Amino acid sequence: MHLKSVLGLVVASSLAMPALAQERGGTLNFARYDGSRLIDPIYADRNPDIWMVGSLFDTLLRGSADGNSVEPGLAETFSVSDDGKTVSLTLREGVLFADGSSMSGEDAVFSLDRARNPDLSPWAGLLGSIDSVSADGNAVTISLKDADPTILSMLATFNTAVVSKAAYDAAPGDTDQDKSAAIFASTSAGVGSGPFYLCGFEQGASMDFCANEHYWRMGADGKPLPYLEGVHFEIIPDDATRILSLQAGEVDAAEFIPFSRVAELEADPNINMQLYPSTRIIYSPINTRDTRADGSPNPLADARVRKALNYGTNKDALIGVVLHGAGQPMSSPLMAKATQYASDLSPLYSYDMDKAKALISEAGLEPGTEVTLTTLAGSADDATIFAALQQMWAPLGIELVVEQVDGATRGAKNRSGEFDIHTYGWVNDVNDPSQVVGWLGYTPTAKAVGTGWENAEFNTLFEEAAKEMDPEARKAKFAKMQDLYAEAAPLLFMYETPFAVALGSAVEGYVQTPLGNNIFDEATVSR
Amino acid sequence: MSSLNYIFKRLLLMVPTFFLVMVIIFMLVRMLPGDPAIAMAGDRASDADIQAIRERLGLTEPMLVQFWLFLSNTVQGDLGRSILMRTDVIDVIADRLPITVFLTVYSVVLSLLIAGPLAFVAALNRGRWPDAVIRTIFQIGLSMPVFYIGLVLLTFLAAQLRLFPVGGYGDTFGEKLYHLFLPSVTVALYTSAIIMRNLRSAIIEVLDAEYVQFARAKGLPSRLILGRHVLRNALISTVTLLGLSIGNLMSGTLVTETVFAVPGMGRLMLEAIFARDYPLIQGLTLTFAVLVSLVFLMTDLFQSRLDPRMRLQ
Amino acid sequence: MSDVAFSSDRPSFVRKALRKPGLVAGMLIIGFSILLAIFPGLFAPYDPNAIDYNAIRQPPSWSHPFGTDLLGRDSLSRVIWAYQVNMQMAVLGTVFALVTGVIIGALVGYYRGIADMIFGRIVDAVITFPFLVLVIAVVAVLGPGLVNMYIAISVVYWVYYARLMRAEVIAQMGNDYAAAGVVMGYSDRRIIFRHLLPNAITPVIVYWMTDMALVILLGSSLGYLGLGAQPPQAEWGVLIAEGRNFISTAWWLSLMPGLAIVLTGLGFSLLGDGLADLLRPRG
Repeated sequence: MHLKSVLGLVVASSLAMPALAQERGGTLNFARYDGSRLIDPIYADRNPDIWMVGSLFDTLLRGSADGNSVEPGLAETFSVSDDGKTVSLTLREGVLFADGSSMSGEDAVFSLDRARNPDLSPWAGLLGSIDSVSADGNAVTISLKDADPTILSMLATFNTAVVSKAAYDAAPGDTDQDKSAAIFASTSAGVGSGPFYLCGFEQGASMDFCANEHYWRMGADGKPLPYLEGVHFEIIPDDATRILSLQAGEVDAAEFIPFSRVAELEADPNINMQLYPSTRIIYSPINTRDTRADGSPNPLADARVRKALNYGTNKDALIGVVLHGAGQPMSSPLMAKATQYASDLSPLYSYDMDKAKALISEAGLEPGTEVTLTTLAGSADDATIFAALQQMWAPLGIELVVEQVDGATRGAKNRSGEFDIHTYGWVNDVNDPSQVVGWLGYTPTAKAVGTGWENAEFNTLFEEAAKEMDPEARKAKFAKMQDLYAEAAPLLFMYETPFAVALGSAVEGYVQTPLGNNIFDEATVSR
Repeated sequence: MSSLNYIFKRLLLMVPTFFLVMVIIFMLVRMLPGDPAIAMAGDRASDADIQAIRERLGLTEPMLVQFWLFLSNTVQGDLGRSILMRTDVIDVIADRLPITVFLTVYSVVLSLLIAGPLAFVAALNRGRWPDAVIRTIFQIGLSMPVFYIGLVLLTFLAAQLRLFPVGGYGDTFGEKLYHLFLPSVTVALYTSAIIMRNLRSAIIEVLDAEYVQFARAKGLPSRLILGRHVLRNALISTVTLLGLSIGNLMSGTLVTETVFAVPGMGRLMLEAIFARDYPLIQGLTLTFAVLVSLVFLMTDLFQSRLDPRMRLQ
Repeated sequence: MSDVAFSSDRPSFVRKALRKPGLVAGMLIIGFSILLAIFPGLFAPYDPNAIDYNAIRQPPSWSHPFGTDLLGRDSLSRVIWAYQVNMQMAVLGTVFALVTGVIIGALVGYYRGIADMIFGRIVDAVITFPFLVLVIAVVAVLGPGLVNMYIAISVVYWVYYARLMRAEVIAQMGNDYAAAGVVMGYSDRRIIFRHLLPNAITPVIVYWMTDMALVILLGSSLGYLGLGAQPPQAEWGVLIAEGRNFISTAWWLSLMPGLAIVLTGLGFSLLGDGLADLLRPRG
């Protein structure tokens, strides 16, 4: 901290000032890889949208620092009834939206009803247990159809953030979608109560957040957060240009630094290279159907072949060439280490060529079998992964060929099953393992990430875990699911990666959470 | 034929062209794997959600019905609503178009400033070393991939020497000139090489022409010859070339805008393709076609003004 | 085709050609490029796809004159093997457009009429269509890869050849020999292919040379977007794209393939300019 600003604060403030003086003011310039399109709790469906919701809106509860429990948020108190079917919350007194209008239980009811409306929100399924929501003044009551062990986590998740009912009532438009778009386009305060409000937006170019002076949380100096006056976002899709922009001092932070550049930036005295722990896992779904989409027999339908591929993949070498060491092999087959209930099964398919070859010959795989790896066009990481895997699997008699496609094509192929293996990744949106486990393994959700894998025992365990209120029993069910999944190997289990963000030396207090959320609440920038 | 009549005829001829462009782009985007519903709903949405979005977007209608809607709405000036941006395509394009036009015009001006004088020097020294040096240097400019030379310029001129900004595109005219200098120079390196080549041979052609030889023999000062004959001829051929390459130039901004983080039409087009945003891709393509056609028309009019041999027909 | 056009004055043609230093330099560069493209294995010191995890991103040295890449592959060998892909690109990316364009251009130029009208509209539609978009879309529909890229490029490029050819044929029709052919009762085919085409083809050939350099550049751009050559195949654009994140720390990764593109482009262009000088009718 600069001496000047400390002196300034001492002179300016009374003796009642807390001992710790706090840098305040200034705008943080932040370079993003992709822009937000609509930051609305229920319509945010891409990471660049989801990860900004928390800056503009507040949730009733907040995730604790370790991510394993919840703390009061907009709701000062909360309790779950003994039968687990009623959640009672009391809103904090005097919370204001960014335009100064006050928040009441009505707003919470409106927001939750919106969030659980399947006609509106793609996330409504996560709130399927809610039967009704009601409010009396500041008291909010949520009645559930069945006990739901995830409900408190869900109240700390972006899609249940509270919006102003009045703002929606007043917005032009016939449908909720139109109103939401109109509110976003108006770039004004009044719809959320988060630490910032949206005060500028140029589609595909830039975005501005301005401090919400009515924000309820207090900073270290006893005055309301945030410390910053605002955040200015520039969208710079090209990795190399984004880094240059930081090095030239035009921005104070650049996100999504390619791992190949991390060491170089760590050595730069003007840059504070951060690797934030994440729930991001990188894996590749393997098609497990008996036949390929074209009707030919699928060699990967045999679990022994899939296991052989896993044994035959040298994860440490991959982490070396793709992540330049900034990552670790997956240790649970279904989730990142940081997720609640993650089993530590490491080493998960540690590199063992002999075992791999034995499994291949046991499965009777023809040498020279052609397998296609579908990768993202233009992704340097994917190109490297392909070249490395092609070499690693050659001794197994597998001839790996590549098919480069764009994201939309990959998504369509995942749905239709027209692939052998394709690269993929995941970051949790919810502080609970149910979402990622449902995605990767529970057949009804997404055919086990499109692999077509189906295991009745797994599916039953998943359904039971969704209602299991006893944490220990729930944990045991998740442990069993992870064992089953590891044994069946519907994925090529690869690695976990942190979020790599490069900060200028002037920036302090910026955080990216394991869920990816960009948190500017306590960030400062010294000029 | 009077110019007005000519313009009218040309505009009329554009109708089938635009119709053809619309047919091609309409079919092409629908042949792309995946569709806007999949791209919009994200990988995690259920199949039922995607079907619902398809219905909402009208993608479940028969192709002919969809095309008819596209056609009739376009004729009425409605390009539809961007799926990606959730706003009207017209508004999105109105936002981005000026940036790309600015970038294109700026790079053309820079190209002329670079190529013009050097072409004269090269032509007047034909076959001698200045000619060889100039042609080789321009040839190198012509062979450099934009995504590489752009980054080299950014690394050295912007990040290390801090002569120019790395990102942003400025608000005022002056700021724009400053911010868009590097991207324009990158495009200009390529364009100026083409212009230089063309200009050089146009000048040589005039210098060799009998009427100029005759004028020289008559003892007319060479400055006058250059001014009267060479300049005009050079101008005609350059304008023709620029008109013809305007499509390529604007197409090329697709990569330049990505490298330099300039939020123009090119980058928007790339985003639209990746998101399978049918209305936006269609709208951008049509805008592009209209622009290029108008430039062609203006080029021809300009040509006929300058060159009496070129009759409007 | 060129045999027909030039056979009558071949000896003096060669002698004239050798007197042009630019043309000779162009021929040498392209000749050597073709040699590298046909026999990359003879020149490359290593297997271009051999991964060596112990030699990652090494700077240029005696054992690796161009250094090594992210997977420890020898950059020199990759640049040399890329000649095969890029020279192939230059030829296959243009030759279909050239042949189709020349034939269609000659036919519509000769017959005119309704076919010419339709041709005009198609040309306008293709030229006013954003070119990269068409290529990207076609590649996305057919799937990325070199062959599909050639198809995509040819779909657009034939128009330029056809337009050029049509204009030349129309100009040639004004000449006496074409009229004479008609008077003598030659068949259309004979007039078009024996008389008009050889005389009109010169500018097309010159344009073709420049076009080959442009196609290499275009292929590189598509490689940068991930739509061109497929890994692990080395291609200059892909090599540059791989190396562009390391311009300040491992400059050799992008500079060497960049030089290869520039040199080849220079070669084609010198060849094109030289040919144009040589073939352009004087006076």
